[in-house]
Amino acid sequence: MSPAPSPSKGNWTPGDDQIAVQRAPEPGGAGGAYRAFGETLRGLKTTFARVVEGVNTIQYPEEKVAVYPRFRGRHKLHRFEESGLEKCVGCSLCAAACPADCIRVVAAENTPEMRVSAGERYAAVYEINLSRCIFCGYCEVACPFDAITMGHDYELSDYNRSDLIFTKEMLLAEPLEATPLRAQGE
Amino acid sequence: MPRPHQNLITFSVDGREVQAPENMMLADAAKLGDVEIPVFCYEPKLGHPVGACRMCLVEIEGIPKLQTACSTAVKDGMVVHTQSERARVAQQAVVEFLLINHPLDCPVCDKGGECPLQDITFGWGGGKSRFIEPKRHFRKPLELSPLIAIDRERCILCYRCVRYSQEVAEDYQLVLLERGENTFVGTFDGHPYVAPFSGNIIELCPVGALTSRPYRFRARPWDIEGSGSLCTLCPAQCNVTFTVRDDRVLRVLARDHHEVDDGWLCDKGRFAYQAVHVDERITAPMIRDGGELRTVSWERALAEATSGLRRAGAKTAALAGGGATNEEGLLLGRLLRDVLGSPHLDSRSGGAVSLADWRALSDPALAATVSDLEFANAVLVLDCEPVDDAPILELRIRKGVRRNGVALLLASARPSALDPSATETLRFAPGRGAELAWALAAALQDGAVDAPAAAAGASAEEVRKLARALREAGEEIVILYGEQLLDGDAGGLLALADALGIAEIEGAGLIGIPEAANGRGLREAGVLPNGGPGFSAPPLGDGLDAAAIAAKLGDGELSALYLLGVDPLRSFPDAGAWEQALEHATTVIAHAAFLTPGVREHATVIFPAESSAEKEGTVTHPDGRVQRLRPAIGHPGDVRAEWRTLSELARLLGGAAGPATAAGVSAELFASVGLYNGLELEELAGHGVRWPARAPAVARSGEAAAKPKLRRAAQAKGGRLLLGSYRSIWAGPEVEASPALRFLAPRQRVELSPRDAAKLGVLHGEEVLVSDDQGELRATVVLRDSTPSGTAFLERDLARDGANRLRGPLVEVRTAPSGNGDVETLLGEEELTHA
Ligand code: SF4
Ligand code: SF4
Ligand code: SF4
Ligand code: SF4
Ligand code: FES
Repeated sequence: MSPAPSPSKGNWTPGDDQIAVQRAPEPGGAGGAYRAFGETLRGLKTTFARVVEGVNTIQYPEEKVAVYPRFRGRHKLHRFEESGLEKCVGCSLCAAACPADCIRVVAAENTPEMRVSAGERYAAVYEINLSRCIFCGYCEVACPFDAITMGHDYELSDYNRSDLIFTKEMLLAEPLEATPLRAQGE
Repeated sequence: MPRPHQNLITFSVDGREVQAPENMMLADAAKLGDVEIPVFCYEPKLGHPVGACRMCLVEIEGIPKLQTACSTAVKDGMVVHTQSERARVAQQAVVEFLLINHPLDCPVCDKGGECPLQDITFGWGGGKSRFIEPKRHFRKPLELSPLIAIDRERCILCYRCVRYSQEVAEDYQLVLLERGENTFVGTFDGHPYVAPFSGNIIELCPVGALTSRPYRFRARPWDIEGSGSLCTLCPAQCNVTFTVRDDRVLRVLARDHHEVDDGWLCDKGRFAYQAVHVDERITAPMIRDGGELRTVSWERALAEATSGLRRAGAKTAALAGGGATNEEGLLLGRLLRDVLGSPHLDSRSGGAVSLADWRALSDPALAATVSDLEFANAVLVLDCEPVDDAPILELRIRKGVRRNGVALLLASARPSALDPSATETLRFAPGRGAELAWALAAALQDGAVDAPAAAAGASAEEVRKLARALREAGEEIVILYGEQLLDGDAGGLLALADALGIAEIEGAGLIGIPEAANGRGLREAGVLPNGGPGFSAPPLGDGLDAAAIAAKLGDGELSALYLLGVDPLRSFPDAGAWEQALEHATTVIAHAAFLTPGVREHATVIFPAESSAEKEGTVTHPDGRVQRLRPAIGHPGDVRAEWRTLSELARLLGGAAGPATAAGVSAELFASVGLYNGLELEELAGHGVRWPARAPAVARSGEAAAKPKLRRAAQAKGGRLLLGSYRSIWAGPEVEASPALRFLAPRQRVELSPRDAAKLGVLHGEEVLVSDDQGELRATVVLRDSTPSGTAFLERDLARDGANRLRGPLVEVRTAPSGNGDVETLLGEEELTHA
């Protein structure tokens, strides 16, 4: 098969299916002046109206947006307050529920010498790949022990994707800075 | 007993017209119409239903009360409703009743996600609980054995495990203790449930009451993938599913194949997968450098092997065994014969059998299938111990005897675990199976029995009795024989088969249990001193058999030895000769997964061997079924496919390059082995193909009625005993390397009859020295009433002190000089393993 002749500018002849282009009126005259300034002024009206309303910019990261209590941010794993044992028993139900398939649980057995959770088993490995998580909260719904809940943290950027795989220790730790919450009715 | 004939009938279930075999249980028949009836206690593999759980209640028109579908046989015109209001209420009530005492353990329970109780509660339960009273409590979890955990709170008392132990494995260990709501599963006096087939109850239990300890908390069903393949730890080649998570094998489950394993596995097959991921495993090539083994690159190891083989040329010999595939056998044969020009290769430890006899033995007319064991009139177990040699076949024999009234006839040197089920047993001298076959053949034809019987060390009267029993049992007779019978001569066995007219009778036949897991396949692929692929005449004429190879290596006429998956020092008879042979060989190349003594001390190049979970290729079952191995996981470390190593070596030595894929090698195998002509890899998927079922019967050439070759059995005399040996089900480096199974790995013990022991003045559990002019080894005395007096049985294939260190035929047993207080501990272990 020989290559198709390449169309060059000089010999391009549009066929029957020409497109009729409708052009706007040429600028100039009173209509032109209105289009140049009238529309601009109309836009500026909105601008000045907002200026009198006062400043709305939030000085992130110095200042943070307060989130609703049910906001679904970065997950937290929990311990029992009295005993300090982990609530998670490593059942993998959260992993089964996760639509993004981003939770990995490897369970192990508690021994009398090393008791980690309250049940027979505990999560030896618990990882959430937060770069895949869609923050749907299904894991929280699936957990039979309220061991995992969606926290309020939303500051999750990092330089490296693998740093976004949160381990059990990271998920159990309290966040360094608490995310502000909106007060009731706010 | 002939296989039952089945009539098709039509019945209706939930308004659907369904065709089913008459007298099939309703629970099964409904499935044919895509109607599911929930069951807990019903499991067709366990035999007759017991109707213990009442989960399967259905309404049948014309019967006033609800019926249990698992124990109601379907009849023509039956009208069944599984979803009527009455049936539904009853199902919900049963679920509610079963849950009364069931703990809310799902999140921590290993069965979660693959649990029939979860599924049935979800599908047929009422959806809410009214029960607020306290539930029953047991201590949990407990060890039922080192391999199985039991959680009695979860048990729904379905009887499955107990029935299995009583009626399938027939080890009679599990029972239900106490009664009423206090009932629980256990062993009679609380000893651990250790038995060759105990692991099957894990798969049987419909709840999480019985779980695997090695798999405990390893994964959830959604974390894992199942990968179908085969177990190649013994010739039974059970079909398995490897459970894989993160490229590691975590569990082995049975993959039901009625013609191979009937859905069961032995504990070795079920738990020895752990040896795949242990540190002891060799995962990189090694060479011997200044007497020390050193890990090297593949290039270096291949170069070393090439130069060694090039130097030895036709003075190379090869042995293959273990789980080596047919493809590897074919490539090994080519490497030796075509590239190096050496005819010396063997896959057996016994004396060579003539090529004509091999052809006669593989005659499709003489072949029996595994399921024939279950439906024959009589099964003759000849010179083998099924539970040790091919464990899963023992369950099949027990099934035939229990359910179909098969007459079991036993002729073996060593007392068998099947003795109590046998109608007729006969003992003969160790290693004289061939003579016994001659004697039986003579007795069946009313010939002279005395000479062969005396040579076999059996009484002529008993041989005649066995022959009578064989003749009276009926036509369909299956002979299950051990390969040790074929020590240099198959004439007796063939004469016996002829005397019984086996070739002409449908349902009668022979099954030979080879010593290596793929012994039959290796033979057929041409790893025989006197036979090429498909029992063709060997291109270079007859080579040396294993024993001759050892001798010639020893006196320097051969210089290199290629070991594909075997360590002769460990598993071949006459370790002394092999020690000499390996000592003198200049090059010893071994494919090995573990550093067994011969490999550790003598190999000059070691290629890491694949485990069965990594292998790709085909193997051949003792009944001729060519089955396919598929890789479940990737190769760990630096392991490479073994067939690739073999063809790479052939190429480096100037041979043909050969196919580049495993499938290509299989295609070549099917083309070059006449018996496998026409097979395709695709059709082997799932269930494999029995080639004898496709091949035409061989017209056996002139019955030149071979003359019996009789070797006279030695007699115990002067306080010395006749030596016999056996390979236990727990022998093998895989068992020693698996953390969970290690407690079962055998140590040498000598089985004596109480009479001999009294004469020798030794006691059960005592440590003794067993010796002959060749060597001496330590063993613990085990007294067995049924051991014939005048014989001593030792174990083969042990990490140390294996029976092959002695040559026999007579050995001396004497008390070991004391000084170690080991007796107590040895006894303790003894009880554990044989409890
Ligand atoms: S929030 Fe949703 S996507 Fe994220 S881990 Fe939980 S279940 Fe998975
Ligand atoms: S977080 Fe909850 S659901 Fe997930 S493994 Fe732990 S206990 Fe199970
Ligand atoms: S332990 Fe399992 S198999 Fe045995 S009776 Fe209980 S529920 Fe059934
Ligand atoms: S009987 Fe043999 S093939 Fe079957 S599981 Fe046991 S070792 Fe494996
Ligand atoms: S399944 Fe029918 S009674 Fe248990």
